[in-house]
Amino acid sequence: METAYALALWKMIEGGMKPKETVMKLREALGKRGRVNLTPKIARAFARIAEREHRKRVVTLSVAREKDALKAEREVKGILQELGVSAKDMKVRVDDSLIGGWRLEGRERLIDASYKELLLSIYNRATQ
Amino acid sequence: MANTIVDKIIKEIEAHAPSTQAAHVGAVTAVGDGVVAIDGLSKAVMSEVVLFEEGKGKPLFGAMNPPAGRAGELFGLVLNLEEDGVRAAVLGDTARVSEGMTVKSTGRVLSVPSGEELLGRVVNALGEPIDGKGPFKKVTLMSIERESYGVIDRKSVSVPVQTGIKAIDSMIPIGRGQRELIIGDRSTGKTTIAIDTIISQRNEPRETRPICIYVAIGQKESKTARIVESLKQARALEYTIVVDAPASAPAALQYLAPFAGAAIGEYFMDRGRDVVVVYDDLSKQAVAYRQLSLLLRRPPGREAYPGDIFYLHSRLLERAACLSEEKGGGSLTALPIIETQDGDVSGYIPTNVISITDGQIFLVAELFNKGIRPAIDVGISVSRVGSAAQKKAMKGVAGGLKLELAQFRELEAFMQFAQDLDKATADRIASGQRMVEILKQKNGVPIPMEMQVAILYAAGQKLFSDVPVAQVTSVEARLSEFFETECAKTLAEIKATGMLSEKSKKELDTAIGEFRLAHKELFGGK
Repeated sequence: METAYALALWKMIEGGMKPKETVMKLREALGKRGRVNLTPKIARAFARIAEREHRKRVVTLSVAREKDALKAEREVKGILQELGVSAKDMKVRVDDSLIGGWRLEGRERLIDASYKELLLSIYNRATQ
Repeated sequence: MANTIVDKIIKEIEAHAPSTQAAHVGAVTAVGDGVVAIDGLSKAVMSEVVLFEEGKGKPLFGAMNPPAGRAGELFGLVLNLEEDGVRAAVLGDTARVSEGMTVKSTGRVLSVPSGEELLGRVVNALGEPIDGKGPFKKVTLMSIERESYGVIDRKSVSVPVQTGIKAIDSMIPIGRGQRELIIGDRSTGKTTIAIDTIISQRNEPRETRPICIYVAIGQKESKTARIVESLKQARALEYTIVVDAPASAPAALQYLAPFAGAAIGEYFMDRGRDVVVVYDDLSKQAVAYRQLSLLLRRPPGREAYPGDIFYLHSRLLERAACLSEEKGGGSLTALPIIETQDGDVSGYIPTNVISITDGQIFLVAELFNKGIRPAIDVGISVSRVGSAAQKKAMKGVAGGLKLELAQFRELEAFMQFAQDLDKATADRIASGQRMVEILKQKNGVPIPMEMQVAILYAAGQKLFSDVPVAQVTSVEARLSEFFETECAKTLAEIKATGMLSEKSKKELDTAIGEFRLAHKELFGGK
């Protein structure tokens, strides 16, 4: 039940309604039906939906060292355009396990151009 | 040597261009009991294989050297497509999956390797070798789920599967391409019949010998090891493939194992070969599928089984077929096994599988405990299409056998209350008792068809009528030896032609007469 309310809340906000106004209306609706007790659960479900949607939108670019970030950003520019992602929606993080290269993940896509991936594929080919 | 390898690696690294190949991914949001919920993967298809990315965030050395028991890639199988994600069964150790883990789509439906190389090997439900004899080199991938052949592609069953068991080959004959259920309580000899059938294929000519596939579902590893050993000793492993999904394997693998067995068998069937697949047993597969379905939150039905439990077995068994000559003329015979509780054949799963198959061999604990083995209840055992495939020689000698035995069972029950029996009834009972003794057989000793014919012919000629019931088995054993040495030519002719000619009958009559003379002591001096 709480998920349905949370989803409705999310859709209303997505539809352009002001968050404050939406919450007020939700409280009224819950009060009418005697379901005010559900509020904390709805809030948690809403947070989950928001996190999931955020994950869907955000694209993460991982690089091995901070100084590689600029080069990597240049290299992924075309890919971001293809995915329809603006540069501000992209987060850059450092993952030293990558050794070199970069890894772009988000919006259900993964492009792994890291040295680690290459070395692993060589290792797997050699050992299998 | 080392320099060459290093140079090769350097070249490969230098030539490395950043890959822009995008993989379709999702993230694990929940894990539990062999099932994972994955967020994303919106383009995943049903039964698609997904790959769990275990090395993410780990240093290269750690990714290359996973801890013991965590080697190899971890796959999952998409089983539910939902609004905002998918649910998949983990095809391995669930403990290796963690929340947030990236899951890659592979774009391929689950398939298993098959080919000549698999003969004599033991594989798991994914077709990976588990017998320590090394990986396969040249195999063909066969899709686990495949639509069965249609009506036009099939032909009627016409060649028998010789089980080597007198009671079955004479009264409940099985044809190549048939689906014959073996059903009974625990410890009534279901697996024994299946294994004897596999061993019996040794008596078939090499060119037409069926490939045998034994699928162990939810069995103890020790039992499977014992079966493999007995097949090895009987020199039957060389034409057999064992697919093992033990009780310790995840439910997903137990559910998949029969499909893997069918897929492996289809490789040979498509190439015009005959295949016999034993599913031991489908009740355990149904239980595994129930577990999986409940974890996937599919609505439970009768006995908590999901609504598609009938379809699970029907689509598996429908893959058994006898193909037309245009399709190569191969066949896939299915011998599913079902375990009943306290002899109750009216349970949900038993009735489902009975209705799907072309007949059933029903084993009874009571007969088994009386020492009548194989403990087949002739009254309710039936083969709906097999008689068309029965050899003429066998048909000739086993014609009235089933009726005679069924009548004997009725009279036997009546006999417990009757004091004085008329001669006709007493004779029928005596004859029935002897026939039961003749049909008794030790496990692991399948009898070739021609020998079965000769023995049943001798029984039909009343050879055993003056042998005490307790000695029938030993007399029959001696008679078999006698036939083997004295009637080798006749037996060879029966085997070659599949018929019992007048000439063969005369030769057998002569041999029976000689046997009687040579062993007067066995027949009360008559």
